[in-house]
Amino acid sequence: MTQLDRRDFLAAGGATAFLCTLGGQTFKVSSAADVARIDAAAAALPRPGQVTRGDPVDRMQFRTPGPQPGGRTREYWIGARTVTWDVAPSGKDEWMGRRVPSRRRRRLRAYVYQEWSAGFANPIRPARIPGPTLHAEVGYVLVIHFSNLDRKLKQAVTLHSHGVRYNPEYDGAYYGDFTRAGGFVAPGDEFTYVWEATPDSVGAWPYHDHGPNHTLNTLRGLFGAVIVREKGAPVPDVERVLFLHSFPPQVTGGDSLFQCVNGRSYAGNTPTIRARSGQRVALHVIGMDQNFHTFHIHGHRWQDSGGAFVDCPTLGPNETMTASFVEDNPGRWLYHCHVAPHMDSGMAGWYLVES
Amino acid sequence: MHKSHLVVAAVAAMLLVPAGASAQNYPPPGKPGGTGKTHGKGRTLTVCKKGCDYKRIQKAIDAASGKDTIKVKKGTYREGVHVIGKRYDGLKLIGDPKHPDRVVFNGKGLPKGPNQNAVIVNNADDVTVEGFHARNYKANCFFATNLQDYVLNHLVAERCGNYGIYAFNSKGGKMINSEAYYNPDSGFYVGQTPPQKGRKKRTLLKNLDSWGNVLGFSGTNVRYTTITKSRWFNNGAGIVPNVLTSEKFYPPTGNVISHNDVFWNNYNFYFGAPFKIPQISAADIPYPIGVGLLLYGSQDTVVEKNRISGNYLAGFAEVPAVHLAGNSDPKVAEAAILRDNTVRGNDFGAGNDLNGYDMAYDGSGSGNCFEDNTSRSPNMPAGTAAFPGCPGPNPNVEVAGALGQILANSLGDPKNPASFEAHWIKHPHPARKGVKPLEHYPG
Repeated sequence: MTQLDRRDFLAAGGATAFLCTLGGQTFKVSSAADVARIDAAAAALPRPGQVTRGDPVDRMQFRTPGPQPGGRTREYWIGARTVTWDVAPSGKDEWMGRRVPSRRRRRLRAYVYQEWSAGFANPIRPARIPGPTLHAEVGYVLVIHFSNLDRKLKQAVTLHSHGVRYNPEYDGAYYGDFTRAGGFVAPGDEFTYVWEATPDSVGAWPYHDHGPNHTLNTLRGLFGAVIVREKGAPVPDVERVLFLHSFPPQVTGGDSLFQCVNGRSYAGNTPTIRARSGQRVALHVIGMDQNFHTFHIHGHRWQDSGGAFVDCPTLGPNETMTASFVEDNPGRWLYHCHVAPHMDSGMAGWYLVES
Repeated sequence: MHKSHLVVAAVAAMLLVPAGASAQNYPPPGKPGGTGKTHGKGRTLTVCKKGCDYKRIQKAIDAASGKDTIKVKKGTYREGVHVIGKRYDGLKLIGDPKHPDRVVFNGKGLPKGPNQNAVIVNNADDVTVEGFHARNYKANCFFATNLQDYVLNHLVAERCGNYGIYAFNSKGGKMINSEAYYNPDSGFYVGQTPPQKGRKKRTLLKNLDSWGNVLGFSGTNVRYTTITKSRWFNNGAGIVPNVLTSEKFYPPTGNVISHNDVFWNNYNFYFGAPFKIPQISAADIPYPIGVGLLLYGSQDTVVEKNRISGNYLAGFAEVPAVHLAGNSDPKVAEAAILRDNTVRGNDFGAGNDLNGYDMAYDGSGSGNCFEDNTSRSPNMPAGTAAFPGCPGPNPNVEVAGALGQILANSLGDPKNPASFEAHWIKHPHPARKGVKPLEHYPG
């Protein structure tokens, strides 16, 4: 009988098939070959035409909003493209003091949002997961110039946000025959989304691809966060966004499953967060795959939205939980998802507190 | 009429001269572009003087379809070629991208007719033209029109009759890694960009050298275009997006000009040029000489992080389209107004290579703003009233007399070339590796 080690067992477990619907077809996604078929189907999907029939709501025209009095417009230029991505560049799991899968097994084709300078003249930062964090105050308008810069997968992608207010023109979602322009941004195309930061937008929210192949492309890393504050509200001394997500074998193209924080697996590769005693800390944790996760920081507690003290709350897909506290406990700490197969496959990182 | 009004009227007339007014036999504007297509693998056709599939490039084009690649081997080709029609969607016309000078189009002495441009691509999407040096064509060196997603790469455009590398009535596209010099209009031109609602295609100009032209870049009613990481030097004026009603789709809007090196645009070609000096009628007045970057009636344009130096009139000028102001057609009148232009993070007089003035702007329009610019020379007008921070106020604060002063400084008479230099404020240029100032052509 063949013995599976823990890593192999977990990898095998992650190979569970899931379903993906695209262009009127449902695909079973159980292998890299399935993924290739879906990508080909996505690339062949025709651009939806302008809606000229159907329900009157689909022919409604919408005004582009501007900032509220005292607010302002904040512009971002974001390009989407695929990159070769190393899930664990150090090659180590510092928590367990062991080596992780070889470079070949941990490299994959990721899909990322990247911030560019105006006019997509130059990338401002290296490509990374998650995409740039967008910031606004209540009353602001976020103007997101989005360009599909990818030339590999040849398929439409979008940028769809939670939390902020937008009209259907700026939804950034594929609706089949009812798709508006921002719901299908083909390679080489550019679309400008306009979102309002309203009083009920306060908080941290995910944005992600919601194009025709959203399931796969979100799994590949096509997501980021938007943070909206009350007008004039102070910025925490330490503020980080942590996405809990996974790269399943279908995406890695092999037998490897990686449980990730911000596109990386295993402590030393995942974000190492630093703070000092007395600092106000806010960690916005967002679930970004099909799984439920928990979030635990050793040595720390905080209050949830109902006022209860917690140290390991649960969050589901595209749900945000913010751990907000004043730091008072110096030392090296671990943060991780407490779903055991997740933390053992890399969903963990360091939190270092200086006195 | 007050004197200032006379000046305004005179310069308005000047600016009525369309960039490319002397261009000949251009195809009429059509409806550019479809949705883009994926092309399968095609054939490779070769062209050379001996031992290839074809001896003439046009013959290869005639035999090709959009899936094909035409590889042109080194040599001088005395023909003007045309790629016209949807059957050529996706065609690649490739010379020597590493050594464009080895594959030469030479139009000298060619008869009129189809040979006016070295290469014209019309109504064919996704066409690539790469690795050629063109010179001496009566109209343009390389010309793309009525299409989308062209790629003009590794080209050299020398001394053609109007523009060096030219795109008209097109959506998207790239002009990259190329050089244009000694052209009597602009080295690079993008204009009459069709408005695109919702999704749009951006045009990219990157890694270009444009020098010794009347204008480095001209763009009449140019939209959604990014001009970046290029050098614009030794032209009459460097970068000039502009608005004219002689072409469709005014005003210029949605453009970004960033990370360029814009220097020494003081080439007074009226003293002599290796090209035919533009003929100006009595009713027209020519472009100013000595301006690095001029927005003539732009909207929603970003000028960011450029190095702008050694331009004797002004590094940057922002001027409303005075010849359209107050037009009875509200759409035309609106096109004259400067709106929502942002000028930020530019380094004026970089390397202690000073401009005459760094920035000139009359304070008209709305939403125009200036922030984080490094300045080493005075602005026109002096003070901060005309140069508010961002976001720009609505409306801006117009400074009395400023427009007249700016325009008066721009005036010149081609019959008296020295008149173009009357308001120059000259400073010595620090040496630059590989380039020398060109103010008067030495030939």
